[in-house]
Amino acid sequence: MNTEKPLVPQGPQLIAPASRRLVYGSLLLAYLATLLPWPQDTLWLVPDFTLVLLFYWTIHAPHIAGLGLAMTLGLLVDLTLGSLIGQHGLTYTVSVYLVILVRRRLENFEVSGRALHLAPVFLGAQALHLILGLAFSLPDADWRYLAAGLVGALLWIPIAHLLDRLTGWTNEMRIEPAAK
Amino acid sequence: MAPAPMFARAMGLPARLALYGVICVALMVLDHRYDAMTTVRVGSASLIHPLQSALARPFEFLGEAGEFFATHGQLLREKRRLEIDRERLAALLQGYAALQSENAYLQGVLKLTPPAGSEPLAARITRVLPNPFVRKLVVDRGSADGVEAGRPVVDLTGLVGQVTEVYPNSSVITLLTSKEEAAPVQNQRNGLRLIVSGIGSDNLLEVRYLDMHADLKAGDLLTTSGIDGVYPAGIQVARVVSVEAPRQTPFARAVCQPIGHIGQHRYVLILKSKGGKP
Repeated sequence: MNTEKPLVPQGPQLIAPASRRLVYGSLLLAYLATLLPWPQDTLWLVPDFTLVLLFYWTIHAPHIAGLGLAMTLGLLVDLTLGSLIGQHGLTYTVSVYLVILVRRRLENFEVSGRALHLAPVFLGAQALHLILGLAFSLPDADWRYLAAGLVGALLWIPIAHLLDRLTGWTNEMRIEPAAK
Repeated sequence: MAPAPMFARAMGLPARLALYGVICVALMVLDHRYDAMTTVRVGSASLIHPLQSALARPFEFLGEAGEFFATHGQLLREKRRLEIDRERLAALLQGYAALQSENAYLQGVLKLTPPAGSEPLAARITRVLPNPFVRKLVVDRGSADGVEAGRPVVDLTGLVGQVTEVYPNSSVITLLTSKEEAAPVQNQRNGLRLIVSGIGSDNLLEVRYLDMHADLKAGDLLTTSGIDGVYPAGIQVARVVSVEAPRQTPFARAVCQPIGHIGQHRYVLILKSKGGKP
């Protein structure tokens, strides 16, 4: 699988390039959503909004959102949530790497199909976060938090639809038609 | 325009992943083992915390709105609490009834037309002197309110007594039923002048040294005559209960019942002289 940066912009990046303002604005909104005072007893169901947006832009604006942005955002979330510095950073970096690996494949699917592909990545991100917590014997490692990964995958669907509309992206815009 | 590079110069994706991964792990170890990130945390918290509290503010309103969706248990608890409240309020309401009757009494007091040359001053009884041999009350009005010693004290129905001691903010009232009190009265039926005096009982007065042929009968109403200059004329004082014929003495004796509800009020009226100090 070719994971090198292509010399010529391809796919959505070429046809419907997302503006930097939209990318960073939506990421900021997602980050603010994590800052909201979620009720303490439903915290294990609250998805990682930043990760949801990060996945979308990794697929649709790979020239902006990549591993570097993933780690930076992860470290910011770490500072915000009071987790171990680097815990979210590593989780985001690894999961965005996985999304980059499957990015070209995802272009053949509708939004819900993409969500189905992303669900294991979301779950894996939560699992990695938990395992890191356990490895450093943090007190707040709780397996219920895996549910937030599934919620994140579900949340990805409406957000992807919304952002598709905002960027004007449709599946017909692909250069290579989907293999029938 | 420079030709596009033949080979991508950027680090390969796996290499970048490895680099970032190592950075993150190193940061975690530093943070966990050596507490090296404390200053970073403190600095970022001072930036993030105001943002966080600003975002939380609208949700405090929403939380209040969330009370709309109360659970059954909450409603039951609320109901129980309200029942307790209702009982408490019922008890309060009884106090309210007492207040209402007192209010009605005071309103009657206000309608009372005082004798000319004097104006009424309502005074609250603060204390009853605990001496069984003197019948005295302490009220919350004193010389600051224009009360002078010797002024008559009435209630809604009749004479109660007289101001005997005045202090700046309180005064002592000697009741008519006190043994050393006496009031010049007139029989309303025939104008017969008499002196009625206390005998030390709350609900009895007597007319001593009554002429044995005096025209005084049970049921006669005695009002102040206004002769002594202390009590203004026309205040109802007592009703005659019985007239006793003389036995060893040459004088008859009449037993009367005071008209004023002596010993039953919380408020009395001091008839202070008009134009006195406020």
